[in-house]
Amino acid sequence: MTMSQDRSGAAQGIEGVLLANRDRIVRFLQVRGAGDAAEDLFQDLWMRLTDRPVGPVADPLPYVMRAANNLMLDRYRSTRQSALRDQAWGEAAAGHEPSAETALISREQLLLVEAAITGSGERPARIFRRFRVDGLNQRDIASEMGVSLSTVEADLRKVYAALAALRRQFDAS
Amino acid sequence: MRPDIDSIEARAIDWLIRQRDPAFDDWDGFADWLGEDTGHAAIYDAIASLDQDLDALPPAAKPMAVTMPTTPRRISRRGWFGGAMAAALVAVIGLSTLNPFGNANRIETAAGEHRTIELADGSRIEINGGSILEIDKDRPRFARLEAGEAMFHVVHRDDDPFVVEAGGDRLVDLGTAFNVVRRERQTSVAVSEGIVLYNPDRDKVRLVAGKAIEARDDDSKPPVVQDIDVASVGGWRSGLLVYNDVPLAVVADDLKRTAGMDVQVTPAAAALSFRGALIIDKNRTRTISDLAALSGTKAQRQGDGWILTR
Repeated sequence: MTMSQDRSGAAQGIEGVLLANRDRIVRFLQVRGAGDAAEDLFQDLWMRLTDRPVGPVADPLPYVMRAANNLMLDRYRSTRQSALRDQAWGEAAAGHEPSAETALISREQLLLVEAAITGSGERPARIFRRFRVDGLNQRDIASEMGVSLSTVEADLRKVYAALAALRRQFDAS
Repeated sequence: MRPDIDSIEARAIDWLIRQRDPAFDDWDGFADWLGEDTGHAAIYDAIASLDQDLDALPPAAKPMAVTMPTTPRRISRRGWFGGAMAAALVAVIGLSTLNPFGNANRIETAAGEHRTIELADGSRIEINGGSILEIDKDRPRFARLEAGEAMFHVVHRDDDPFVVEAGGDRLVDLGTAFNVVRRERQTSVAVSEGIVLYNPDRDKVRLVAGKAIEARDDDSKPPVVQDIDVASVGGWRSGLLVYNDVPLAVVADDLKRTAGMDVQVTPAAAALSFRGALIIDKNRTRTISDLAALSGTKAQRQGDGWILTR
């Protein structure tokens, strides 16, 4: 199949995917936390995906589903941000349009996050940084570190679990 | 404690890890999991939101003594807006406590407060609570631990060794990660990677990974080198304190620094020798009862803290 490089062609491709998979996407949005607003959010997703130029997408459905997932995450973050805006460490958000790219954690908290990563042990910390900061995939990390894929997976889980616990403490404080 | 939440969270983490792979396509499976319980989406959101904030993490420090293949190019999945921000962040950490009247930078932590600072050369210092550390912008390869405890991860340079001062002691790195405690008139050093020279002008004690010393200021002879478990070096960072025959008073001191716990020890109990691993639990009472059980003492509440008696 030849991929059209031109903007309208790509947008049409996405529109086609949105239309053909409408029910599936709406169901996803529902369970993803949109509930009754799923239909409205489908429209938001439509706008988001057809509004700006999109390059050719190799596999359009996963691309759309990921966009739907990100849309929901952005909504969650905007809500959190409004809630946090008055607090001292929400200052980064003040005066800006709520945006998914504005950090919701403070510098101090980021330091604690770093400490928690380091504290999870030499190997898990290194694996986590390679994965999350340097963007390597698990297989490459496994071969680079000379460990099995399941070790990489287990270490990643361990560090994320430690961070999740830390995040609960941020919320509690 | 909360098996349900924890196991849901573990599943959410699994999904998140899988989804970070650009080739992930099991969105239907993900939807099925979300559909199992209306609470799943919120738990996933909390984790995914935290994950997004990790974009601001600075790139990994350069490998130290450990040999690693040359770094592959960083694969940027999104715009990597975090790059500039991360660089700015490191600078802020380095200079935030800068004294406006000089270049010395004094960092003081409260009991129970842990801080990590990154130096310009990529070296990293993790500072335990109740500690005072001085760094100097004009002497980038130098740090002074005035009191308390810190773990140093030093980027080694053959022509420019990193020097740590603790009391009257000088530690010179030869490519290294090591932990230093400065207590009342005493310096303890434990090495987890590489080599450290202790007082090269005087004692010339060479410590390799897995070795440690305890040196008192008034000792006339060089300290005796002891074996330690590499994995336990700097254990305070993860809330694990490992001891091999130390006075209980030292353990109490560590708990104060590391966790902000106020533990008194009666004179009769202070000299008791303690051996064992102590986990600093979120439930501090549990940590204390572990300590009491392992040391053969009794723990009682006293004000905001505890007292250990024989």
